[in-house]
Amino acid sequence: MAKGPGYRMMVFMSKRMIACDEASFLISLREDRKLNFRKWWQLKMHLLTCHLCRKYERQIVELDHSMEVYREGCSHESCSHQLSSDASSQIAQAVKGGLNAN
Amino acid sequence: MKQLRFFYLAMVHPDERNMSDTNEHKLDPQKWVEEYGDYLYSYAIGRVNDSGKAEDLVQETFLAALKARDRFRGASTERTWLISILKRKIIDTYRKKYSSKESSFGEHDGTVFDGDFYRSEEPFKGHWLEGSGPNSHSLLPDGEMEQEELLRFINLCIENLPAPLAAAFIMRMIDEEDSDTICKELDITPSNLWVMLHRARLRMRECLEKKWLS
Repeated sequence: MAKGPGYRMMVFMSKRMIACDEASFLISLREDRKLNFRKWWQLKMHLLTCHLCRKYERQIVELDHSMEVYREGCSHESCSHQLSSDASSQIAQAVKGGLNAN
Repeated sequence: MKQLRFFYLAMVHPDERNMSDTNEHKLDPQKWVEEYGDYLYSYAIGRVNDSGKAEDLVQETFLAALKARDRFRGASTERTWLISILKRKIIDTYRKKYSSKESSFGEHDGTVFDGDFYRSEEPFKGHWLEGSGPNSHSLLPDGEMEQEELLRFINLCIENLPAPLAAAFIMRMIDEEDSDTICKELDITPSNLWVMLHRARLRMRECLEKKWLS
């Protein structure tokens, strides 16, 4: 069988194909830092062939977006909580005790 | 620099002028609970998700602040100073859990394999386990979602994470610390951190998807 450039390309690719575990790891890693070319290429090639990982990729982006909503929601008043009066008086006592001890 | 500061105090923020004129280097522990109690509590409960624990953390923060108040130089406001102490306390609770559990997450060698999510038999090694991969096209339901519900689900899902994963995930995604800081605090290598974040995201994704579907 003639081993033309197409064949060599196939071998080149199949040797470097990654499975879903590696691919999902790279999707996550990409959120935190830039991938090098090799990893980027491996991920692209995997995503071309794997619909589950395409879904996963989309969902991870959505997860990051939700966490952004979460961060913003919690810096505003909307999710502020109040100490119960028992707890706050207990803490006030403790602070007073600490003040006297010093 | 001084002029800038004066400008800021005089023009931008009249309230702050009074505060820093009278209060520079001085703290008022009597009023802490009244003024900052709820704020610290909200901050803590968003991260530990347990009202009792959050109350303890607030108390510990105030006590630690009392001890360290000689070191307060007025470089930051009272509130940011207290928050920085609280942050440290929260990280400490995770570190305690982390070392007491001695789970395998700590000595992870950097391989990605996780038997809870991927198949291990040879021809399909590394493929998604049935049901553990993504099922729906989108993690979030169509249309308007209730923000409060989303926040509640995120809280629940973070609670379900194993402690070390939760620590890494919270520091990275909620506190937005950079990876060097996280590695130093948790005493892990960067490659451990990437794997831990990956595993945390795997679990968060699965948990959120299940919550929306049910």
